[in-house]
Amino acid sequence: MNLNKRKAKFIGTALQNKTLMLVFVAAVLPAAIIAACLYYLIFNMLAWQLGIPEAIAYNLVPVARKVNLIILIALPITLFVIWFMALELSHRIAGPLYRLEKELNERIEGKKSGPIQLREKDELKALADKINRLIIK
Amino acid sequence: MFRKKWFNLLFLIIFISATGNIFAFAAQLPKKFPFEKKDALDEWQEKIFKGRVFYSVKANKDDSYLAAYSDDTASGIFYRIRFNPKQLPMISWKWKVLKFPKKGKLSCGGSGWIEQDDYAARLYVIFPKLSFNLTKSLEYVWDKSLPVGTIKESPYSKNIKIIIIESGSKSMNKWVHEKRNIYEDYKKAFGREPGKVGAIAIMTDTDNTQSTAEAHYDELKVGYKDESE
Repeated sequence: MNLNKRKAKFIGTALQNKTLMLVFVAAVLPAAIIAACLYYLIFNMLAWQLGIPEAIAYNLVPVARKVNLIILIALPITLFVIWFMALELSHRIAGPLYRLEKELNERIEGKKSGPIQLREKDELKALADKINRLIIK
Repeated sequence: MFRKKWFNLLFLIIFISATGNIFAFAAQLPKKFPFEKKDALDEWQEKIFKGRVFYSVKANKDDSYLAAYSDDTASGIFYRIRFNPKQLPMISWKWKVLKFPKKGKLSCGGSGWIEQDDYAARLYVIFPKLSFNLTKSLEYVWDKSLPVGTIKESPYSKNIKIIIIESGSKSMNKWVHEKRNIYEDYKKAFGREPGKVGAIAIMTDTDNTQSTAEAHYDELKVGYKDESE
């Protein structure tokens, strides 16, 4: 059986779409909320601490601008990394399910026989083993 | 059940923090600052920009006031107060300049304008916004040379507008009474309606001119309607 690495990470099944979005949102949303709260709290508290508007404009605004610039550069990179990791994870779940379904169909239609083999890093290997035991019986 | 418990806890936290903030700013309006007692500055916070200006309450039998002396320094005293200037637009006080900071001959807005940003006496009205960089401020200033009625942008930020309400040394060493409509001044300076006032501050500074200045302040009253209107 050809167990090479799958070429396409995005197979486009509904399950993968859902998993991908879920993992992405679950990673990004809490991080974004915490970051926004921290950003807001730290800078606003510092502003109240400085008090004098000139002191805020002179000391705090340039720092905030630098932080904004760093965020602007880092944010797309971070989002891309999270998206890539979410895609990888969703693929490990949706990929084997897609394969299991396809392999089972082929066995039902009599095109193939023998046990189903999944890739090393694929999830649901335990389920595939149980199906294989049924097939062998 | 479990979800309800968390929801209640979250609601409680939000409620406590919200009411905490309200109570933190709450003050009986109009708020008066007579500077009669030695501990009158206890309710104010000191905010240091560059060095420490010496603020003290001079409480004598027949006279009491807030004295400010700056020697190459810039710091202010700051009071958090929350009110709607549309409903309670007035602020009044009296002040006396004993010494102006020494400024070179630079025109307003010209190069080196930031080096001229020292005033013997100024009073801030601060309008905080959700984000600190949107916070706006009005500064009522007594300047030695700029004409009364001048409204100009601070060299530090476009969110700070300086309004010259006293000018020159003609009234030096005399108490001068001021009464301003914050709501109208804000509209004139920023061209839009103000939000809520979040703080007021007083500052005498000489850090940019590296000179000395001295001023007195008294009878500050904020957050009231003008009876004469």
